[in-house]
Amino acid sequence: MPKYQEVIEEAGRTKVMLGNAAIARGFLEAGLQYAASYPGTPSTEITEALEYASSKLGWPYVEWSVNEKVALESAAGAALVGLRAFSGMKHVGLNVAADPFFSIAYLGIEGALVVVSADDPWMWSSQNEQDNRIYGVHAYVPVIEPRGAQEAKEAAKLSLDWSARFKRPILLRITTRIAHTRVPISLGSLRKHENVPFFQKNPKRYTLVPEFAREHRIRLLEDWEKIRKEFSDFPLNTIEMSGSVAVVASGIGYRYAKEAIKELEADVTVFGVSTPVPMPSKFLEKLTEYDEIIVIEEGEPVVEGQIRSHLQARDSNARVYGKMDGSLRVYGELDLSEVRELIGRVLNIKVEKRRTEIIQLNIPPRPPVLCAGCPYRSYFYALKRVINRNRVNPIYSGDIGCYSLGISPPFEVQDIILDMGASISAGGGIAKAFEGDPKTVVVSIIGDSTFFHSGVESLINVVYNQIPLLVIILDNFTTAMTGHQPHPGIGGFVGKRERKRIDIEGVIRGIGVEEVEVVDAFDIRNSEEGTEKALKYVLEHRKPAVVVARGACALVALAEARRSGVDVPKYVVDESKCTACGICYTAFNCPAILKKEDGKAWIDPSLCIGCGQCEQVCPFGAFVPTFKNERWDQLLRTAKPR
Amino acid sequence: MIVEVKLNVVITGVGGQGLITLANVIANAALREGVNSIVAETHGLSQRGGTVIVHVRLGDVEAPLIPKGEGDLMLSMELLEAARYLDFLSKDAEIVVNDYLLPPPLPGIEVPSRNFILNVLNRWKVFTVPATSKALQLGDPRSANMVLLGKALKHTKLGEFISLNSVLETVRELWPKAYEINKRAIEVGMA
Repeated sequence: MPKYQEVIEEAGRTKVMLGNAAIARGFLEAGLQYAASYPGTPSTEITEALEYASSKLGWPYVEWSVNEKVALESAAGAALVGLRAFSGMKHVGLNVAADPFFSIAYLGIEGALVVVSADDPWMWSSQNEQDNRIYGVHAYVPVIEPRGAQEAKEAAKLSLDWSARFKRPILLRITTRIAHTRVPISLGSLRKHENVPFFQKNPKRYTLVPEFAREHRIRLLEDWEKIRKEFSDFPLNTIEMSGSVAVVASGIGYRYAKEAIKELEADVTVFGVSTPVPMPSKFLEKLTEYDEIIVIEEGEPVVEGQIRSHLQARDSNARVYGKMDGSLRVYGELDLSEVRELIGRVLNIKVEKRRTEIIQLNIPPRPPVLCAGCPYRSYFYALKRVINRNRVNPIYSGDIGCYSLGISPPFEVQDIILDMGASISAGGGIAKAFEGDPKTVVVSIIGDSTFFHSGVESLINVVYNQIPLLVIILDNFTTAMTGHQPHPGIGGFVGKRERKRIDIEGVIRGIGVEEVEVVDAFDIRNSEEGTEKALKYVLEHRKPAVVVARGACALVALAEARRSGVDVPKYVVDESKCTACGICYTAFNCPAILKKEDGKAWIDPSLCIGCGQCEQVCPFGAFVPTFKNERWDQLLRTAKPR
Repeated sequence: MIVEVKLNVVITGVGGQGLITLANVIANAALREGVNSIVAETHGLSQRGGTVIVHVRLGDVEAPLIPKGEGDLMLSMELLEAARYLDFLSKDAEIVVNDYLLPPPLPGIEVPSRNFILNVLNRWKVFTVPATSKALQLGDPRSANMVLLGKALKHTKLGEFISLNSVLETVRELWPKAYEINKRAIEVGMA
């Protein structure tokens, strides 16, 4: 069954769905017409699912934009002329898109516009924690937050409908445990929306020059109070049960509160909030009747802050338990036992601690690593050899993508990781600072999708300012880390709609880079030759040079091999030739190559994908393939995601 | 199959071993039984050969994550990853573990032995199964997760929540082409 089949299944059925797929379904049930997103964990599957739906249904229009700012502007444009639009991104993506986000809040829209921010508390796949409900407060964009994956579909549907009703953008804020949680979801009817675009010239309405922006600002503040009132009747805001203590639970916090309250058989009034920003006026008013209020929410105390300031305005002396008084942690994710303990403590219910003794075992860490067969491994190996041979001091300016995994030994080629695209621009700053030191070389390492995301402007900057920087673009023909989305470097089709391929070397040369080398990342000697040439150019000419290191993501190649029936070889160790030198499992470190007790190498057949890199690394010829298959070697150099 | 209360299943292993798939099969089989389920997964960065934990909660549950000390059952695809997450288990939990030790690919690290780990796991009720080697014998290492599932269905509380039949129907629906090999893998696990 195709991965997102349930997103287009007929109404009336119940399917186990990923929260993100449920959100996509919710949008389809609300007549979404236009989607523009950039991939980022944990947001990606919403747009992937919509892309699948679009390929089957012929609607909505779905695009992977080059970055989040562009995505949000693209969706905002469609919404301005009357369509129902969505733009999805991870929390840090909204930083990139913050500019249009604030401005579209002023303009409002004619159709509907929902921006999804997928926040990632405890940073499972991110560089920071951010509660983007605060963007809603800052930009005056109303925020809807599903109360768990269970209500993700419904919340998505309502957010599109209510955006159309307010004629203002809505921020749908989810967190990892909504996005990536699978629950049974009952399906409603798909609704194809027939809104046709319309536009009438009206600069006062559609432009933000100061004169008109001032009027927009005033209207926005007036609307904000109206929205606060209307949110009182939002269908997924509920007041349940009754007791002398109020438990206000927003978003996923609602699920933790409900389960804890049920277990404790606690008599409380539950305020289940799906619209944390602005907090509905009816809820705030009703809360002034309580002396003790517990607030459960994931992230920062956004709801709690609004409650506290309302109570203060009403001269209430109620005691509020939440994140501002330290009753719950501000960092990380909510925890059922902590929520249970807090509610128990406030209500004087004894809660047994169920944690067992901590066993100290010293289990070695297992950080994520480059997969067996990853072309980045053979390229990093070549890169390090070139750097060592030329006796320069490298500073590796890293970026966001699979190559971030080069941070671990033995490669350690990610000395700085800041944000997407920064490898080149921050690398430029470092290179400029070290310009007087001829032995220091700054090496920026960026992937293909990240290059198109924001590396292009950064490269323009270092070329324009003629900064001596060695830039490595690792091109594996996909956005690999987030699960193999396409990007402008690949082209291809969505259903029958063609996406044009943008040639990376053409872009680099067009920008004005004078030294460009293209190498086969699976071929260590070829990679070394090209990289050495580029490095020498930087050292000699004190100008930027770019190496494009090319090789398909091994996971994509493997999937393609399975589909097209290409036999994939495995490598085995010829024990008579292995000298136990350890180069393969220390300096090269493929996860499929393990050290045996006698120090010799052993290849785990469940992990090896026959990429042939180890054969190039071993000086003794100890790695031999079970067979050779040119079609497989070809796939490793060409496979693109479908 | 009517089930009261709940079952907290901690699924652990190494990214790429089919942990999310395993959880998905359990959730879909539960749906067939009319049992509620919540599965909290790990995607993205953490999946690349790193340590992975998936929380599967069955029955009368609302929240996505299993608190430490409250796991009723652990299904682990790798020995070190079983040991890493023991603090998620209650003291009378059951463990089904793949008899497979995969040292983390970091140069020069010390790795506890198989026997040391099994000794620690033995404080709980443990079932070991050579899932990876059985799957390789079947011809596809990806079916190791189904061997493990078979073992769990046969020997643990999981069998009280989902039946073999629901599991097989789920596998048939999700991957009709790979039905036979997965069915055999489950049977091998149950044998």
